[in-house]
Amino acid sequence: MSSRELATHQGPAPAQLADVLERVLDKGIVVAGDIQINLLDIELLTIRLRLLIASADKAREMGIDWWDGDPFLSGRRRDGNELEDRLRRLEARAGIGEAQEER
Amino acid sequence: MTQTAMRTLWCAYAVVGPVGEDVRSAVGAFELVGDADVAVVTGRVPASEFGDDALALHLNDRTWVERVAMEHQAVVQQLVPVATVVPLRFGSLHRTRDAVEEFLHVNRDGYLAALERLRGRVELGVKVWLAPPPPVSPAEEAATGREYLERRRAAKQEAAERRKSIDGRLRSIHERLLAAAEDAVLNRPQPRELTGDPREMAINAAYLVAAGDDAVAVQVDLLRTEHPDLVFEVTGPWAPYNFAEEKDA
Repeated sequence: MSSRELATHQGPAPAQLADVLERVLDKGIVVAGDIQINLLDIELLTIRLRLLIASADKAREMGIDWWDGDPFLSGRRRDGNELEDRLRRLEARAGIGEAQEER
Repeated sequence: MTQTAMRTLWCAYAVVGPVGEDVRSAVGAFELVGDADVAVVTGRVPASEFGDDALALHLNDRTWVERVAMEHQAVVQQLVPVATVVPLRFGSLHRTRDAVEEFLHVNRDGYLAALERLRGRVELGVKVWLAPPPPVSPAEEAATGREYLERRRAAKQEAAERRKSIDGRLRSIHERLLAAAEDAVLNRPQPRELTGDPREMAINAAYLVAAGDDAVAVQVDLLRTEHPDLVFEVTGPWAPYNFAEEKDA
């Protein structure tokens, strides 16, 4: 099957669950509803999934860190410390240690 | 407020515009809140699942999260062929339709700008997988401890060299695809726990392209021939999830 067929005709298949999770939970415009959702919950969910999706340490362990610190290649990648900072802030607020970082 | 089984909330999935007849028919049972220039695609969801207390519990239920994410994506995807879609991240929940209207009113300028910026654009996902390293055949198993250590050292060195050469190739692959696209986002490769695939993902990227533009797909076809040991996977076209938030926002 050619990539062109894939690119133009294939909508996301069920097998692409990981892609859907990555996009729906971690991409798209961030919005707050009218207080219905507990922002802390959704942020923690996002961060948990980001740790799973991103798994930065694992990637680094595998030697896949070639885009780090390269603004051209990384396109619009955000500051790598942002996630950790946010996680720490949220943990402090929630009084918990949700994410178990393996270091 | 008492919570009954019948109570519903409004979930916002995406922003579209302009809103023509094709958009109206594509949303089906979902509702457009807005006007002819810009509208929020919404749907009613049960408060028993999405309400304050229930939601916190459900967010820890991976099966529930997966189902809800797939539904969210399905709502967004059905609009991709007919309109410029700016997807919202999961979690925009509102008590009333009026609240959705207010939500649009407050964010209207930003959404119009996003629609303009992403007009006619979609994103293509490109993943590159590494072939698994060749297995050690039983015949090659070391006879002595010293031999074992030497082989292990050699294998380690070989793996490091292979990685170094692959890194250079991955870099040039991304550069080629970026040149064929308008913009790109490199996401971390997904781990095996998430993909359920034994292969190792080396590139997990999204490229912003005009709908119908196949320049990226053409490059992927060429790259496939040039790198027969790598596996390329193209997904989409998706709504431009990776480009919805403005660059310098």
